[in-house]
Amino acid sequence: MNAAGRQRAMRVAVAALLLTPAMAIIALGFVAPLIRLAILSFSSPAGPLAAYRELATVDVYRVVLRNTLVLALVVSVASLAIGFALSLALMRLEAGWRAIVFACVVLPLWISVLVRTFSWMLILERNGPLNRFLAALGIVDQPLPLLFAFPGVAIGMVHVLLPYAILPIYAALSRIDPALLRASGGLGASRVTTFRRVLLPLSARGLATAATFTFLLSLGFFVTPALLGGPSDTTISMLIDSFVNERLDWPLAAAASMTLLAMALAVIGLAGRFVPVSALSEVG
Amino acid sequence: MLTRRHLIAAGAAGAMTSLIGRAQADTTKLTFCSWGGALSDLEKSALLDPFGKTRGFEVVAASPTNYAKLKAMVESGQPEWDLVDVGGRFIWQGADLLETLDMSLIPNAKALDPSWVAPKGIFTSTGATVVAWNTKAFPEGKGPKSWKDFWDVKNFPGPRGLYKPFYYNYEAALLAAGTPHADIYPVTEDKVKLAMDKIRELKPNVKVWWTAGAQPPQLLSTGELAMSSAWSGRVLAIIKENAPVAMTYEDGIAWGNAWVIPKGTPNAKLVMEAINYAISPEAQARLLDLGTYGPVLADAAAKGTPEQRKFIVTAPENIKNMLILNEEQAALYSAKYENDWNRMQLE
Repeated sequence: MNAAGRQRAMRVAVAALLLTPAMAIIALGFVAPLIRLAILSFSSPAGPLAAYRELATVDVYRVVLRNTLVLALVVSVASLAIGFALSLALMRLEAGWRAIVFACVVLPLWISVLVRTFSWMLILERNGPLNRFLAALGIVDQPLPLLFAFPGVAIGMVHVLLPYAILPIYAALSRIDPALLRASGGLGASRVTTFRRVLLPLSARGLATAATFTFLLSLGFFVTPALLGGPSDTTISMLIDSFVNERLDWPLAAAASMTLLAMALAVIGLAGRFVPVSALSEVG
Repeated sequence: MLTRRHLIAAGAAGAMTSLIGRAQADTTKLTFCSWGGALSDLEKSALLDPFGKTRGFEVVAASPTNYAKLKAMVESGQPEWDLVDVGGRFIWQGADLLETLDMSLIPNAKALDPSWVAPKGIFTSTGATVVAWNTKAFPEGKGPKSWKDFWDVKNFPGPRGLYKPFYYNYEAALLAAGTPHADIYPVTEDKVKLAMDKIRELKPNVKVWWTAGAQPPQLLSTGELAMSSAWSGRVLAIIKENAPVAMTYEDGIAWGNAWVIPKGTPNAKLVMEAINYAISPEAQARLLDLGTYGPVLADAAAKGTPEQRKFIVTAPENIKNMLILNEEQAALYSAKYENDWNRMQLE
């Protein structure tokens, strides 16, 4: 073995050694329980496929599944739109202001989702500050039903997910050479054309990453829809909770969890056709 | 002579005893799990601690009750909880997970109304699901008096709150439809349909489907709701704090807090004796002073002062206008019509 070969073998050995703890944790703490969950989903007393059959045939579960997808779609589109606008604003700010706005974006990540959801309950109440403000401006004469309804859930979830949209979009925008935008203008393109043909294509990767993140995270939301939503805002994770804690039907809960996992993997697969998976790690 | 082999044997024996330690009765400690808050405090201090003191064991409180945890504990063969307060219907829903009570260890049960005693659980204190309201929406003397009034959004306008599952709502809806108390049970297809239709009718006015007992008093006191079904003990507790909330026992749905023993607890015999103490006249009398959840023992309820009796579900003047919840029937309709109920909720 020559010196170069030895060096390469050494590097591989060190890499393997460094990877071992993480791999062990993932194997014991994630892969093993996941396999047990998959086995559980096929162990319903009524037969191996009974739980999946029940999920597929009972109309209530289909409605809940559809509601979950619609909610995830609405929330990710809203997060993306607000995130893009805010990222553009961030680019134009002076360094000092940018740091302050950036802190406002990132700091909420340190506060528990439960606390933030409770705060929204106070803000969105019938007699809460938002409704009083709208009434004082004369925009509404009846308090809007925000809490315990779809708008409340959407607002609460967008608030939680916004940082996950802003970080990849901002990262993509900040990599764009400002000279390109100036050149586009200099060559006679209107602002709209520059946006459509230069800015948007160059930030597409960041947008796709943000869309994948927000959509995946919103598929599994529990606390926010449970506290801010009404009965028709039931999501699949709330259904899983009731299977586990109320009905004590664990095979059914496991089957619903596996379905949710399959949906998430499908989204990642779909996203992978537009962005390489490695790009999902390009945050911040 | 102490050899290495002896040491290994001794070590193995030690490990064995510590492994099976939990399977043997540890009579110095009894773990009691309940729903937390005022209820847990009351059950521990009035119904369990005094018995523990005379028998030399300590009552360790856990909360809140969680059926999934209970199932996992029983299936692992090592329940950490010796005694658990559950919703009454769980005596039937969770029958496979519970010890059958040895009534020869619980002679005091003979003094209770038979509706409070079941083969796998005994009710030790009482409460009710009642009509409660915000006193700014309906001032004194103008409040609702029945589930019929609860459904009457013309004369009693304002957003309503109801419990999220079918539980209690089956009874409330039938009472609102004018079904006499004696005809609420047994559950039939026709009665379920009538109840569902009645709830569908009120649904546009139901703003909150609550899941935790703390929600109705909170939402009523802020004015988010004008009227809600609620657990009496929670409402009485918030009224004591001068919140603008009121309730009535009229047309209330009376129930008890059920105690059960997870299958496989090594302390089963001691726990049954503790249950026997909890329903004794001495222990039950302590519930009178606390003014939230009342005694199950009618003799104890009868000894209350007129002021105390106002809050006691089992006081004859209160219970005569109430429906006693049949938990076995509730377990039946909750499971059988769950999908129909969920479908109606999503409409």
